[in-house]
Amino acid sequence: MPAKVTIRDLRKNYGNVQAVRGVSFDVHAGEILGLLGRNGAGKTTTLECILGLRQPDGGTITVCGFDVRQRPREVRQRIGAVLQDTALQDKITPREALYLFGSFYRNSTKPEALLERFSLADKADAALGMLSGGQRQRLALALAFVNDPEVVFLDEPTAGLDPPARRGLHTEINMLKQQGRAIVLTTHYMDEAEKLCDRVAIIARGQILAAGPPRALIAGSGAMPQFRLETSHPIDAGRLERLPGVQGLTCEGTQVRFRAPDITPALAELVNVLDVEGVDVAALGVEKAGLEDVFLELTSASQPGNVVPDRP
Amino acid sequence: MNHLLPQLDVGFRLYFRNRMALLYGYLFPTIFLVAFAVLYRHESVPLLRHMGELLTVTALGGACFGLPTTMVSERERGVWRRFRLAPVSNLRLVAGTVVTRYFLLLTAAALQVALAMGIGMPLPDHLFDLWLAFTFVSFAFLALGLVIAMLADNVPAVQALGQCIFLPMLIIGGVAVRLESLPVWAQHISAFFPGRYAVEAIQVSVNGAGLAGARFSLVALLLIGVAGCLAASRLFRWDAGEKFTCRKGKPWLAVALAAWIAVGILAEYTGRVPAGQPGTLQGAQVQGDSAAAGLDNGLDMEYGQMPDPFASRPAPDTVSGDAAADPGADAADPGDAAKRVAPNARGNLSMEEGSDNDYMPASWQDVTARDIIRDLRFDRLPDDRGVIAPVATKRDRIAPQPAGQLQCVRSSLGFWRPGRVSDPVQQTRNFLYVAAVPDMFQFEELERWVPLAVFDHLRYVVGDERLVGILYWIATHPDEGNVSAASQLPAVCLDMGGPGDEETLRERTAFYALKLLGRITGDIEAE
Repeated sequence: MPAKVTIRDLRKNYGNVQAVRGVSFDVHAGEILGLLGRNGAGKTTTLECILGLRQPDGGTITVCGFDVRQRPREVRQRIGAVLQDTALQDKITPREALYLFGSFYRNSTKPEALLERFSLADKADAALGMLSGGQRQRLALALAFVNDPEVVFLDEPTAGLDPPARRGLHTEINMLKQQGRAIVLTTHYMDEAEKLCDRVAIIARGQILAAGPPRALIAGSGAMPQFRLETSHPIDAGRLERLPGVQGLTCEGTQVRFRAPDITPALAELVNVLDVEGVDVAALGVEKAGLEDVFLELTSASQPGNVVPDRP
Repeated sequence: MNHLLPQLDVGFRLYFRNRMALLYGYLFPTIFLVAFAVLYRHESVPLLRHMGELLTVTALGGACFGLPTTMVSERERGVWRRFRLAPVSNLRLVAGTVVTRYFLLLTAAALQVALAMGIGMPLPDHLFDLWLAFTFVSFAFLALGLVIAMLADNVPAVQALGQCIFLPMLIIGGVAVRLESLPVWAQHISAFFPGRYAVEAIQVSVNGAGLAGARFSLVALLLIGVAGCLAASRLFRWDAGEKFTCRKGKPWLAVALAAWIAVGILAEYTGRVPAGQPGTLQGAQVQGDSAAAGLDNGLDMEYGQMPDPFASRPAPDTVSGDAAADPGADAADPGDAAKRVAPNARGNLSMEEGSDNDYMPASWQDVTARDIIRDLRFDRLPDDRGVIAPVATKRDRIAPQPAGQLQCVRSSLGFWRPGRVSDPVQQTRNFLYVAAVPDMFQFEELERWVPLAVFDHLRYVVGDERLVGILYWIATHPDEGNVSAASQLPAVCLDMGGPGDEETLRERTAFYALKLLGRITGDIEAE
């Protein structure tokens, strides 16, 4: 089955600044791809090039089988998008916005159905300025679905939302995936990416550093579990440095933190040290490495690598 | 067009929810109308003469500020960026925005005309032409607004750019200050602004000969509009982050400017620039070769030095006339006339207090000096130098430009069909309308001079002896007689429609009748 989105060697410069340097990836139907990166990493520029908002300096972009530069209207008939820095007029109502945007497409869903689907029916005739942040974001999502798109681009869709609104949006995005749509998502929330995305691509300085399923990235990274320890009284840090493979040790009074590659031997040796020192444990916790650790590890080092492996 | 309907629908809804837009779009034009009405003595007819300026200001304000402010603020907010994600062309979006704005301007203009008519302004002479002219004006100015929207990076820049165009256009562009009032250098500059063409196209539709006489203006507006649209389409930008200085295609701005320059050069080349000349762009077009001759030969002549236009004319008693066939004939029903309310001329100014009102002469032939002494008071007439029924003195120097037109008026009076009717009272009334209508229209450059021409002509044609009785009769019977001749002034080189306000017309006619009568009897000492 051909990919819904195919990007090859995408390049974009702003003057002398290379914002995107040879980015390549595919997105298939029923798949969510997360683009992760710090601010200014190049993920929004990549998205804008795909959406035709910016003209790339090189590379090819194909969406639903159409070249974005040659057939932009055909591409836009088939995609939906929620971008950060777009807006609507303050006085427009959700019903009017859906009616207006629906008129731009060959086929469109009726406003009433979208208002119902995105829980906006009771605010259908309220001015945009009177809607909450969550309601506005749901309207933005509804607008992205006015043409029943095959591919959806979501640029930080949950930014600024409260936890219940975020959770509601996650449910909606998962539903889209189940309906077979291809989704490209950018986010700063690593837990969100880990939870929603089938694959993630970590971008830094305009290049993809690593890509793949979140668990595979975590497993394949050098990120180690983190130990958090609270003792009955301060302990000599020198004793803890002898633990096997310990890294990043910090001792602040009775609070101790460190990382170690293997949990069991590190834990056994820790108990020995505490016993010898005659220190009691007030609290102990061990956290496995997550996507955030992988992200920090990669983006701090900024090791280049720009080709995303195919889906497993 | 069907594709545009949702955009127009939503555009109108949004506009009418925006209080500031309503304020600028409808309240301000209404304030302008009131200001013009107050400025022009609360009279109804002069509004007709200034509709060109009024409607142009409305279109210009909507174009220079309304359209670009909306577009730029939406672009700054990211609305246009959101539109761009949809499969819609910039042409369609811009066309939708412009068409919406056009209809809003049209409704604002219609409101102004309706309000003006509500306070007594007559119906414009050529309604279809007026709509067409306003459409051309809106097109040219909205294209200008598009260019401003593409030049300005933010809303404050729109205000700055808009003022840079709006104010010069008002002051030296022939929009708010009449071209005749401007120095010659400013008149030349105004030829390069679309404002004067807008004023002319609208004005000739309101009370002139219609758009047939304003073809140049229409072409000028069209050219400026097309060039503006072309430049704006090349400079179009969706994104607020895309600054004008970083844009490609800046040379297209020169296309918009080139159209203004081309129109100005063309106007200069074809001799249309100085106001008041034959075939010029202002409402009062002078007709006929005699006007041109007057311009050539009489630029500096004083009134008293002007040649007698009737030197070679046939004697008045040889002029034939058929009152029954002539529209100027006295066809008023005496019974109907008796029911009319007498205008102020008689009631307030002319009838002596405490006089014997029971006696009235049976006809104008029966009027005696005693009747005049008993019934009329000349000291209550409006001052000759005032704004109502003014009369120039023979020492006054006429400005060079209207001198030609006055010459044309003088030359034409003898051939004027309503001036040849057989009934001497109606004939005199008809001539007095020639003096009264320019006064009603506040035809500043001529309104003081035309009465002198009319007085001279009446004394020559009718004779003082008969005029005494006739003028008394007209002054004391202002409601009688037919006023249709007042609509036939283009034939005497006064290109203006009928005044519409018949009551004021009759009042002014009575004033001029008394002013001439006083001059004949010696009760008024002509300066």
